Amino acid sequence: MAKCTIDGKEVEFTPGENLIKVAKRAGVDIPVFCYHPGLTVVAQCRMCYVEVEKMPKLQTACSTNAAEGMVVKTTSEAVKKGREGTMEFLLLNHPLDCPICDKAGECDLQDNSFGSGSAYMRHSEERRTYVDVDMGDVIQKNMNRCIHCTRCIRFGDEIAGIHEMVAIKRGNNIDITTIDGKQLQTEYAGNYSDICPTGSLTLKDFRFKKRAWMLKKTDTVCEGCSKGCNMEIQHEGNAIYRCVPRENLEINKYWMCDEGRFNYHYTQDPARILNPVQKVGAAWSKITWDQGLSALKSETNAVNTLFLLGTDLTLEEMSAIRETVTRNHKNAKLLSFGTHGVETSAQDKSQDQILKMKSKTSNLMGAEKLGIEALQGKAKADVVVVFRGGRAQLPAIESKKTIGVGVFLEKEVTSFDVILPGLAFTEKDGTVINHQGKEQRLKRAVLPREKCKAIPEVLMLLLNQKTREVLA
Amino acid sequence: MSANSQTLFVQHFGKDSNRTLDYFLKNMNGYEQAKKTLTNLTPDQVIEEVKKANIRGRGGAGFPMGMKWSFIPKNSEKPKYLVCNADESEPGTCKDRQIMRYTPHVLIEGLIIGSYAIGCHHAYVYIRGEYVREAELLNAAIDEAYANGYLGKNIMGSTYTLDITVHRGAGAYICGEETGLLNSLEGKRGEPRVKPPFPAISGAFACPTAVNNVESIANVPHIMRMGGEEFAKLGKIDKSGGTRLISLSGHVSTPGVYEMQAGSMTLRQIIDEFGGGILNGKKLKAVIPGGSSSPVLTADEIDVVYDVEPLMKIGTMMGSAAIMVINEDTDMVKLLLRISKFYAHESCGQCTPCREGCHWMESILHKIIHGEAKSTDIDLLVDVAGNIGGKTLCALGDAAAMPVQSFVKKFRPEFEAYLKGQKRHG
Repeated sequence: MAKCTIDGKEVEFTPGENLIKVAKRAGVDIPVFCYHPGLTVVAQCRMCYVEVEKMPKLQTACSTNAAEGMVVKTTSEAVKKGREGTMEFLLLNHPLDCPICDKAGECDLQDNSFGSGSAYMRHSEERRTYVDVDMGDVIQKNMNRCIHCTRCIRFGDEIAGIHEMVAIKRGNNIDITTIDGKQLQTEYAGNYSDICPTGSLTLKDFRFKKRAWMLKKTDTVCEGCSKGCNMEIQHEGNAIYRCVPRENLEINKYWMCDEGRFNYHYTQDPARILNPVQKVGAAWSKITWDQGLSALKSETNAVNTLFLLGTDLTLEEMSAIRETVTRNHKNAKLLSFGTHGVETSAQDKSQDQILKMKSKTSNLMGAEKLGIEALQGKAKADVVVVFRGGRAQLPAIESKKTIGVGVFLEKEVTSFDVILPGLAFTEKDGTVINHQGKEQRLKRAVLPREKCKAIPEVLMLLLNQKTREVLA
Repeated sequence: MSANSQTLFVQHFGKDSNRTLDYFLKNMNGYEQAKKTLTNLTPDQVIEEVKKANIRGRGGAGFPMGMKWSFIPKNSEKPKYLVCNADESEPGTCKDRQIMRYTPHVLIEGLIIGSYAIGCHHAYVYIRGEYVREAELLNAAIDEAYANGYLGKNIMGSTYTLDITVHRGAGAYICGEETGLLNSLEGKRGEPRVKPPFPAISGAFACPTAVNNVESIANVPHIMRMGGEEFAKLGKIDKSGGTRLISLSGHVSTPGVYEMQAGSMTLRQIIDEFGGGILNGKKLKAVIPGGSSSPVLTADEIDVVYDVEPLMKIGTMMGSAAIMVINEDTDMVKLLLRISKFYAHESCGQCTPCREGCHWMESILHKIIHGEAKSTDIDLLVDVAGNIGGKTLCALGDAAAMPVQSFVKKFRPEFEAYLKGQKRHG
C-alpha cells in the first residue's frame, strides 16, 4: 500500500484520499472550516494549510491528495503563521458575541481560534454588518457571524438537491443568503445548522434553550422512518433539547431530515398520557396499574380479541408481545400496523430520493422478519389491544373495547377505553431493523416519566398478579 | 522602434478599413494557414509547430502555449473546448483590444487552427463586458467568416467543423482568471475553481479545455506561416519566441500599444524609444512593468531586458506586458491606495485571505493617508500582505499583495512621511 509521512509518522493511504483524512489516521487533526467530508472540496477557507516538502507554497490539505513518499508537516512555523493569518482574517469581521451565541462550545471558529489563532487583535476598523433575511421556521440566520465557508450552499446543491442558498455580491461585501431572500424550502434545513462552523445558522427550535457544553449525548437511531438514520439525542435533566445526525456512511452519511430531527417533541408533549387511565364518560380518570392490567386481562379473555402491534416497537418488544399472546390467548389474532398504505416492506420506497422512506416507522422490516402479518384496512374485533411505540399511525378501529399499551397523546385516543402508558424510543433500549435489513440499537437517553412502564415489564405484570398487587 | 525590428500586428492597427475580411485576405495572407492546416496537417503537427515556436502565453502567466495544448487528452470521448480569454482586465493592459478592433480575422484564423489542433468543434471567446464595441466588431467578423465558409460546417472544403461563440462578461476582473472565466461562461458565479483538476482535464462544462489569451491565439497563424523555428527566432532571448505587444501608459510622451521582438529591448529603451521619454521632461520615479499587480521598479532598475525571465530575476514580472510609467510628481502612497482599492473591489470573496485581507489593506492605507494610522501600521500592512500573498485560492491574492509589498519596500519614506505628519491628504 502507498505510504506518506505526516509529522514524522508513516501512514498508509488509498490513492485519491486527501491529506485531512490521511492525517486523521496518523492522529493528526488539521483544522478546517469549509471542508466537510460529505461535500465537494472548495479550498476556500484557507485554514487547513500544511507544508509539503518540495512545494514552495503552503498547500491546503483538503485539496491536496496524498502521494507516494510525500512528506507533510502540519506544525511548522510557516504552517502556524499561515493558519494564524487566516484566523485573524476570519475574526476581522466576526462579532465575537460568543456569550450570547448558541454555537458557543461547539463552534469550529472558537476551537480553531483557540488552537491556531493569536490572542491579540491588530484590527481596529469598524466591523462589517448585515441585515438578515427571515429563513423560515427552522433556521435563524445571523450573517454577521458568517465566515463564508459555503458549506450551506454546497449542502443545498449537493445533498438536499435544492439550489436555495447562494453567495451574492463580492469581495468584502459578499453575502450568503437565499435566492431573492426567500425562506428555506428544503425539508432538510436542520443540517444547515449542523454544518455551519459558526453561529451564523442556528436552529430556531434550540435557540437560547441550553448551552451546548451542558448537554449529555446519547447515540441512538431515529424512529422517524424505516431509513434508521443514526442520531444523537442531546439532553439534560431528563429533558431532550436537540437531536442531531450521527455519521453512518452506509445509511444516512452525515445528515438527517427535519421530520426525524424534531420528531422527539411528541415524547415531551404535555398531552402525552403518562399514567394508567380509563375512560369515565368522556373524560380520562387515573387508575392504578393493577386496575389497568386487571382490565386488560379480563377483557382479553373474551372470545374475539385482536392484538395490534405497532411497527414502531423494538424487536424485543415485538417478540415479547407475540410470545405472550400466542401462549395465553390462543384464539386471538396478532397483526402489525404502522403506515397507511405501506403495510409491507415491498411497498416501502424512498420518498424523496434523499433519506426519507415511505414507511414512517422504524421497524417494519423487524415485524416482517418475526413473521407478524400486517393489518389490512380496519381493525375489527370485540376487543382490540393496541401496542404502540408512539409513532405508528393508528388504524380505524371498530370494537366494543379498545385498550392501548404504549405511547399515546390524548387527542389520538378519544375512542379508547383504557391506556397503559409505555416508553417512547428515547426512553428505552432495543433493536430495530431498517429497510436495508440492518440491525441497529436504540439507546435510552432519558428515564421513563411518571408511571410509564416498559412493555416487557407490563407483560410480566400481566401474568403475575401477586407482583402486581405488591407493586401497585 | 528599433531598426530592422519585425512586427506582426501593429502595422495593421489604427485604420478602421483594416478589419475587413477583404483587407485580411489581401494583406495578411488571410485564412491561408487555416486552409493549409485543415487540408495537409495533423493536429499533432500543429502542436509540434507551436511548441517549436517557443511562444509563451500572453495573458500574464507566460506558460508555454504548445505545452498547454499538449495537455489536452487525445483519447477523451468528451467534447473539447478552446476558450479565448478576451477578458483583458489587468489595469494598464489594452493590447488585445487592438487585435479585436483591427485584426479580428487573424484571431478567428488562430481559433480555427487552435481548435483543430486540440480537437475542438466549438470555440468560445470570453470578452470583457466593457468591450461593447469590440464584441460587436468581433461578432461582425465572425459573421463575415461564416458567410464566406471560414466557419461552420466543412470549413474551406475540409471535413472539419467549427463554431465560434462570443460570450460577453459582466465586468468582473476575476473572470480573467481562467477558471473564474469558465465558471462565468457556464453561467455560474464568476469565481475561480480549486485546481487540480486543471482546465486541460476538466474545464468548460467539465470537458478538456484550453484557455488562451487573444494575443496568443492571434499569433498562431503567424507561427504556421513562418514555421515554428522562424517564429521562435523573432525572440531575441531564450524560451521566448515571437513578438510582444506592449501596452505603454502613464507619464510617457506617447503612450500606446507597441510591438517589439521578444527580449529585444530594455525597459528603458521601451520608455525612451516607444514612449518618447517622460512626459514634459519630468524625472522618472518608478515603473510598474507588467500590469498593476506586478511589483514596482524604481527609476534605476529599468536597465533590464523586457522579458519574462530577466524581470523575474529582479523580483518582478512581465505579466500582460502593460507598462505603467510613473513620474516624480506621483504620490506613491496614494497610487498604492488606488491599486489596493481595485483589488479589494474585484476580490470575488470566496477565499478568506483575499476577501478580508484586500479590504483591510485598503483600510490601512486609507488611514495612513488620512493621518489616522499608528506607527506600527506600515509593518502591519506588509504583514497582512504576506498573509495574503501565496496563500489564496487563485492569483488575485498575489496580485493584491505584490504591489503593497514592493511599494513599501521601495518607497517606505513616503509612507513614513504620512505617519510623521509631514504629509496629509488634502
